[in-house]
Amino acid sequence: MADTSNLLALFREVVEEVDKKKLPDVTEKSVIADLGIDSLSTMQIIGELENRLDIMIPDDQLVKLETVGDLLAVVERCAAKKG
Amino acid sequence: MAMLGHEGERDPVDTRLALKLYEEYKTFFKNAERTRRWNVFDDIPWDKIRKDVPEELALVVETFCAVEAYLPDYVSGGLALVRPYMGSLWFQTNWGYEESKHALSLQEFLLQSGARTDEQMVDLQNKLWAGQRWTPLFQTGRQMTIYGAIQEQATFVFYVRQRERAKELGHETLATIFDFIARDEVAHAHFYEGVVKVLLEQDREGTLRDIATVTRDFKMPAYDLVPDYDERVLVMRELAGMDRDMFFQKVYFPVLKAIGIGRNDVVQAMARQRREAQPSAE
Repeated sequence: MADTSNLLALFREVVEEVDKKKLPDVTEKSVIADLGIDSLSTMQIIGELENRLDIMIPDDQLVKLETVGDLLAVVERCAAKKG
Repeated sequence: MAMLGHEGERDPVDTRLALKLYEEYKTFFKNAERTRRWNVFDDIPWDKIRKDVPEELALVVETFCAVEAYLPDYVSGGLALVRPYMGSLWFQTNWGYEESKHALSLQEFLLQSGARTDEQMVDLQNKLWAGQRWTPLFQTGRQMTIYGAIQEQATFVFYVRQRERAKELGHETLATIFDFIARDEVAHAHFYEGVVKVLLEQDREGTLRDIATVTRDFKMPAYDLVPDYDERVLVMRELAGMDRDMFFQKVYFPVLKAIGIGRNDVVQAMARQRREAQPSAE
């Protein structure tokens, strides 16, 4: 499941659910703040991604998440560790 | 059953909760008396005060003073919300005493250093009190207790960083003031955290829901009352190196850990609130 294109699609789906935003043009290079997603929504989005992928991201890894790619990389690493 | 003002002060008090809150207060007060009391006039090195306070530092101190100016409102608003419970009521009054010391020491620093004149401080107070009154950001004692835990921890982190900044600039008097205040603030945060743990034991789902609400709507006190608040906070954040990442890492996540819940508990409570807010499909 956790390859980058699938994760990007999942990210879009979760953002729509959590933040009521449709992001058809979002890419890994998109800056999260530029998408109008604040840090509280980011926390909720990460939580929802954790729930759906059944992973747990350590709190200390939730820093310097500037772009969508930064966020998805953390998710991908945790998903890979889970196997 | 009254739950920290949750359903009105005329409801009967929950005896078990009342006893636990009293114990929390007793522990807080005992520690304060034994290890934390300080004297504004005797324990701060006023003789070492310097007259060359950079304006950016003066602005930080003045802003803390401005926020503290609404202390009477914070105390009266807080007392009204926790009214049936002696432990929380007495904490609130003791909290008011400690915060008044903070305000006094900060104001004295501004005046004795020459960074501000008496007239400037009176002028600021006049602006602050121009018909404005602080009202609680949240409607129940439980929500305000959760708010208190986060807000006091945030203030603690802020004062610690400002203390380091004052040290770097060689302002020992101000560093000492910030140090005393930071110790008080973290003690306040610990009291609130203890109470939130009790509330989670009493009603986990309801308390998680309130944590979600407070997380979503959190703002620092008097954000809408202090003149030029946004500009002041920008300077303060830059000086303290405080950003959203730091807020989560040094304030929010440690509070969650202290009260024994995880980030995901809050995320799930938020998701429940979202689902409940959606109109029914029927």
